[in-house]
Amino acid sequence: MKALYSQIKKLVPDLKASPREASEVLTMAGFMTDSLEKVQYRDKEDYLIGLEVRQNRADCLSIIGIAQELAAYYNLKMKLSEIKPLAFGEKEIKIKVEAANFVKRIFAVEISNLKNGESPVWLKEFLNLYDFNSVNLLVDLSNFIMIYTGYPSHLLDKEKIQDGQISWAMNKDFEKIITLDGSEIKLNKNNKNGELIIRDGKNILALAGIVGGQTAEISSGTQSIIAEMAVYDRTIIRQNSRSLKIVTEASGRLEKDLDPNGIDYAMNLLVSLILENNGGNLTAKPYNYYPERRISPTIEFNPKSPSVYAGIDIPEEKAVEILKNLRFEIKKPTSNPSRKGNITVTPPTDRMDVSMTEDVIEEVIRMIGYNNIPPDQLPKLAIVKNITPKIIYLSDQIKNILVNLGFDEILSLPLVKKGDNEKVNYSPLDVVTTQNSVNEEYPDLRQSIASGLLSQLEEYRKKNIEHINIFEIGKVFGKKENKYLEHESLGVLVYKRLDIPPLEKGARGIFKNKISGINNLKKNLETLLRSLGLNDICYSLSKVKPEIANPYSCWDISFNEKEVGILYKLKPREKNGAVYFFELNLAILTELLEKVRRNPVVEITKKLVILDANVELSKDKSITEFIKEIKQKIGGDNLWSIGVSDVFPLADDKIRYTVKVSYQELSDQEAKKLHQKMFGLR
Amino acid sequence: MNQDIIQQLKSELKNVKSLEDLKNLWREYLGKKGRLKLLVKELSGMPGEEKRKQGPLIQKAQKTAQELFDVKEKELSEDKLSRELKDQAEELDFAIPKIGHLHPLTKTIREMNNLFIGMGYSIMDGPEIETDEYCFQRMNVPADHPARDLQDTLYIKEPKYLLRTQTSSIEARLLEKYQPPFKVVSPGRVYRNEKVNKSNHFIFHHYQGVVVMEEVGLKDLFGTLTAMFKKMYGQEVIIRYRNKYYPEVEPGVGFDMQCFNCRGKGCSICKGVGWIEMGGAGIIHPTVMSMAGIDRKKWIGFAFAFGLDRLVMARYKITDIRTLMGGNLGYK
Repeated sequence: MKALYSQIKKLVPDLKASPREASEVLTMAGFMTDSLEKVQYRDKEDYLIGLEVRQNRADCLSIIGIAQELAAYYNLKMKLSEIKPLAFGEKEIKIKVEAANFVKRIFAVEISNLKNGESPVWLKEFLNLYDFNSVNLLVDLSNFIMIYTGYPSHLLDKEKIQDGQISWAMNKDFEKIITLDGSEIKLNKNNKNGELIIRDGKNILALAGIVGGQTAEISSGTQSIIAEMAVYDRTIIRQNSRSLKIVTEASGRLEKDLDPNGIDYAMNLLVSLILENNGGNLTAKPYNYYPERRISPTIEFNPKSPSVYAGIDIPEEKAVEILKNLRFEIKKPTSNPSRKGNITVTPPTDRMDVSMTEDVIEEVIRMIGYNNIPPDQLPKLAIVKNITPKIIYLSDQIKNILVNLGFDEILSLPLVKKGDNEKVNYSPLDVVTTQNSVNEEYPDLRQSIASGLLSQLEEYRKKNIEHINIFEIGKVFGKKENKYLEHESLGVLVYKRLDIPPLEKGARGIFKNKISGINNLKKNLETLLRSLGLNDICYSLSKVKPEIANPYSCWDISFNEKEVGILYKLKPREKNGAVYFFELNLAILTELLEKVRRNPVVEITKKLVILDANVELSKDKSITEFIKEIKQKIGGDNLWSIGVSDVFPLADDKIRYTVKVSYQELSDQEAKKLHQKMFGLR
Repeated sequence: MNQDIIQQLKSELKNVKSLEDLKNLWREYLGKKGRLKLLVKELSGMPGEEKRKQGPLIQKAQKTAQELFDVKEKELSEDKLSRELKDQAEELDFAIPKIGHLHPLTKTIREMNNLFIGMGYSIMDGPEIETDEYCFQRMNVPADHPARDLQDTLYIKEPKYLLRTQTSSIEARLLEKYQPPFKVVSPGRVYRNEKVNKSNHFIFHHYQGVVVMEEVGLKDLFGTLTAMFKKMYGQEVIIRYRNKYYPEVEPGVGFDMQCFNCRGKGCSICKGVGWIEMGGAGIIHPTVMSMAGIDRKKWIGFAFAFGLDRLVMARYKITDIRTLMGGNLGYK
């Protein structure tokens, strides 16, 4: 909303503040100044203050509204032009209101014998400053009044109305309307919300509250008009504006809360201006449909409360004074002894946004100015309970561990292209899709964190980056029946170049041991999980494999029979590169970690006794299961470590594992005896 | 004659390469049947005067010889040791290990979190797929309310299921689930139905704060925000607080940072305003409190939220907002 300084000055004659000062006051009071332009108006230097008026103050989408704010702040009187007495005619205007539940008030007049034409210079100049095109004098006056008072009005050429009968109704018959500027808007008479229109017996005349139609438009030859001002149920205006995709200055005001009472003054001003500029006379009685007169609420208010909410001392008398400046009616204190000190206040009727005591408190504090509240006093710190969920700590820990292991954190889009999910998904849930995305290339929510890591891999490869060890923690999504599910997921991806040997040789050309790619990643996975406190992680060949995984190199990761993630080598994508990936469900991991308690501290008094044993198992048996059993049998007090040190495939589908056990706190003989017992050796 | 023996010994010592050979040579010279020992034997057959003359000379020769042997032994021992060491020695290679990095958003969020944890706050998040109820209605924005225009919503299933447009949905869940008093911050991802370009995205990161206590006011809110801005932008930062309408707070607050480029005068960076809008805040609206079932006679709270992306971009000299969510973000 823009406010011309000279217009404000006319309304508040005693205003001494400069345009800059006024704009600063308005900014503090709730209307941020986003521009202050020096302009020419009526051959004088003037200023156009550009203000942000928020959704709660439709009354300030007007010059009068803004002026009232400044008058209130500076405790000055407003000089509104007086309501002029009007001489109305006798006959009735034929108006029918059929959509009664959407109409709060309609006020209409009939003016005949007028002469339309070009607008005077001052009016054209004015409208130009407000980015309106001058059309003709009648239309321009209607727009002027809208800017000045905040009330849109709609003028109809009486001669173009069929049978002179206008009705406000829901659209049942019309497929389209051609608006004043010639554009065609398709209507939908089956719209479930209903489209509120103004019509006569045959034609559609306007989209109520939004825009007028060409049928009864005002032209330079118009000689008689019906002028109407209305206030509607704001939701229907907003619904129609959105569904028909048309936004106007009128709809912008009427889809917010406007006070129907204000029509009296605005209409009077409009009619006076028309009679003054176009001539003519009022040839009918005014039509006033106003079934439920708006009355301001009475609000109980404690004048001490602004001090509490602001944190500074605001004297009670000051609070009351501010409310009086804002045109609030102050009533005697309540007689209720439990609410001693409270008063009742009634906001002016145009303040549709004030309905409860907190609104009144805000009025007081915003007029004091937030700049009068010291901004840098650290609040008193009451100690409260820590309610941070464990998964937040877990995510941070994981990030630290991975960074220390040499992985880079990336973030990727949770919305992916069509078909991306199918490549990486291994969960039984359905894909969640967005309905109305303007970014059509990314309609689906990701099911696995792999999709983003793969995109990043591709980008890095395009840019020729060779060392790629990346991870991401983020949400993955799915749908089960009608429930939308999401959980935090960790994904780690490694890209290995197969043709470049690692530069880990001494000057004499000795290469270090090269661990295989999948086992290198597994090593990092184990480091991560063990650092968090999870040992005995099991790997079993996945039953459900993602499409991009090498099916022979894909494992489900589980702990205590609970599946917590997946690890796989990808199918080849590049001639000289191999890609490895694992994913962990952090929600499940958090749960598992809740139950884990482990004290790794030991007092070592004897040397460790290290013994081997060969175990032959058939291919389908799990050595990790076997080892788990042995572990339990040996018990924690005597077992330092146990693991597989060699693997040798035998004939007839058997495998010989060499299991190496380190016994603690046992003598050589004791250890040997226990070892023989555990492995069934002689 | 002694001198000849010493000279010969010296030259023979030159060719000794091992301790074994040295031992053998020592026997030849200083052993029981060694040359110098023989000279001592010969001494007994000499006339008295000759004996008195040669005796000390032979003794001296023996001493010199032993000294030579000792020196050579030491030399040979050192050689062996250093050869062993050289064998075992490893040289430095040129491998540079890859170190990992945290995402700039994570780093920034951690810094903010640390400040608030220091002030006794907890950290929380919430679902990203939200319902209209928790994203809007419980934040005092009913259906068809003009405040709905403040955000373009990305729907999963209109009108009920959507991707949250603001972190206030976390606030709605928090207020409902937990008993006051509490202090919580929520860094979170939000979604808007906007076209992606260099400065706009459909995904943003917000930082939300909610405090519900027996006593709080705007002064506490301002103090908290100012402390945070000073930490993130430096002590010289200038913040202003003004009345601004948001449906979920009353009184409402808008807070701006003075444009660092023109210091409030107006320039292209701040679009002539002189101030850069940072976010919104205020005292939690009574309707929001009531819908969460919180006793308004006993408790009062404040909330704030602001965007993180621009802060992160400014700190890490990222010029394109799309970089934050992948693609060309790399670590050198």
